[in-house]
Amino acid sequence: MTSSSGSEEERSLARMTGVEKWFGKVQALKGIDFEVRPSEVVGLVGDNGAGKSTLIKVLSGYHLADKGEIYFEEKRVNITSSLDARKLGIETVYQEQALAPNMSISRNIFMGREPAKPLGFMDKKSMDRGSMEALESIGLHLRSPDALIATLSGGERQGVAIVRALHFKAKLVILDEPTIALSVKEAREVLDFIKQLKREGISVIFITHNLYHVFPSADRFVVLGLGEKIADVEKKDTSIDELAELIVKPPSHD
Amino acid sequence: MSDSKLRLVRSFFNYRFFSIFLVFVALLLFFGFFSPHYRFTSLANIKILLGPGSEFSIIALGVGLLMVSGEFDLSVGSILVFCSFMFIRLFEIGMNLFLAGFITLGLGALLGFLNGFITTKARIPSFITTLGTMMLWRGVTLLLSLGYTRPFDTEVSPLLGSILTGKIGGVIPAQAIWFGAFGLVLGLVLHLHKFGNWIYATGDNKQAARAMGINTDRVKTICFMIVGVLCAFVAVMQIVRVSTFTSRAGDGWELKAIAASVVGGTSLMGGIGSMAGVFLGALTITVIENGLVLLRIPYFWTYIIFGLVIISSVLSSLYLERKRLGRD
Ligand SMILES: Nc1ncnc2c1ncn2[C@@H]1O[C@H](COP(=O)(O)OP(=O)(O)OP(=O)(O)O)[C@@H](O)[C@H]1O
Ligand SMILES: [Mg+2]
Repeated sequence: MTSSSGSEEERSLARMTGVEKWFGKVQALKGIDFEVRPSEVVGLVGDNGAGKSTLIKVLSGYHLADKGEIYFEEKRVNITSSLDARKLGIETVYQEQALAPNMSISRNIFMGREPAKPLGFMDKKSMDRGSMEALESIGLHLRSPDALIATLSGGERQGVAIVRALHFKAKLVILDEPTIALSVKEAREVLDFIKQLKREGISVIFITHNLYHVFPSADRFVVLGLGEKIADVEKKDTSIDELAELIVKPPSHD
Repeated sequence: MSDSKLRLVRSFFNYRFFSIFLVFVALLLFFGFFSPHYRFTSLANIKILLGPGSEFSIIALGVGLLMVSGEFDLSVGSILVFCSFMFIRLFEIGMNLFLAGFITLGLGALLGFLNGFITTKARIPSFITTLGTMMLWRGVTLLLSLGYTRPFDTEVSPLLGSILTGKIGGVIPAQAIWFGAFGLVLGLVLHLHKFGNWIYATGDNKQAARAMGINTDRVKTICFMIVGVLCAFVAVMQIVRVSTFTSRAGDGWELKAIAASVVGGTSLMGGIGSMAGVFLGALTITVIENGLVLLRIPYFWTYIIFGLVIISSVLSSLYLERKRLGRD
């Protein structure tokens, strides 16, 4: 690694400090510091209910934090809606299906951002072309942009969701359990999509329960447990076994 | 090129649409052959189907659009009657009828807005919100009108009369033209406009739509307002046609409108439906009602037939849908 790229990595793309989030009497996030650097894949892991989804939903504008600050490209930002987040270049593929099953591929990819002709009518040609090109670019060959999402396999759906993030020049793509409920082959496809994102200089936050999926893809790992950050380690300083132990261990207070 | 045209044709005549189309043609043939003295296909009856019959159908178009966004409106009949009362009052004080008409449309939009606002802000299912406003607005109208009918004089504005209820070329009722025009405009909006994409997304997966930055509350509220405006429009149209205000106007239309949408392939869960389907569904409901009267079948049979048609059309479209997904 050259020294110039080393100083590059010192800069953060997105940084969250002291983030707290309450749901009624449940504190889902207890003062989390979290950062992502340019072109970095961060594996965000932890047990069920650890707060992973909540943390990224704060970053993507779905939830509002009760406390804490967010910096994007070293500037303090206020993210109060998913629109704010996307304006910055943060795209999220949510754990809950983020696609509309009875709508076509191209209508899903351009949902909420339809290219329009005068009077606001959709430019269907450019939607169809744009979506097919984007799908090809991550190596996903689908028959037609008019196919309904409900007719696709799980892996293909994740591909469409990722393409939607990619197409809009995201700087940071957040994937919440993109490989859950996928066959081995489909999961491998999704992992290839993630490599493709990194090659294009896009940062990725990858949430999963499957350490075997995240370990080869990620550069760094952040472990959450019961709303606290338990560990933040570079890949070279850890192993799958160590991460697995950290995940099951309750947070220690000293 | 020809491939994409073919796709367009195929998606237009999708299975749901096709099944309702078959039902519609079968009904036309049935009533055509079996109505006494072939009265169903007489010019007089066709004028009734296309004239007064279109009043209900126009409202059904809006209800179908709203259902695609995932909401219901049980208050259409009551919005209609309240708007009728407003219009007759403005007529009675001698206001210019076009101005009165626009004020009535504004009232319809406001009543629709209230339905949408209450439903989305208080997160009450629209079935409940509009059940409430259904009773409320009809109650208010009864209170203000004391249930009496009031006369309207078409001669005051022959122009308004011919725009809303005239006969094009002496044959085609203006109402049918309005029905076609509203169907076309709403169809363009639903299928080709950005807003239509937002309606589908909102009804199909509200979470996803919100995550993509679509203001689903606003989308739904606008759909409620479209329904309200259509009710107000039909209120004026109906008063001009019958020259009377009655507090029973629009009674029972709410369920008929939902039935028309469902028969036309609209999903009760939202996210699925087409304007062409709702258009045909509305025609189907109108034809059934009219045909049964001509067959001299007692009116209560209408409900039984409606029930059977609704259930069988939902079952057949579900069956076809499943087959399609299975095959793909
Ligand atoms: N919308 C909500 N309302 C109330 N409580 C919530 C909500 N979302 C999350 N929580 C709670 O916050 C805590 C953290 O949840 P979160 O979804 O962030 O966990 P997670 O790490 O993503 O878990 P999983 O791996 O199961 O997806 C849990 O206790 C959960 O019950
Ligand atoms: Mg989660």
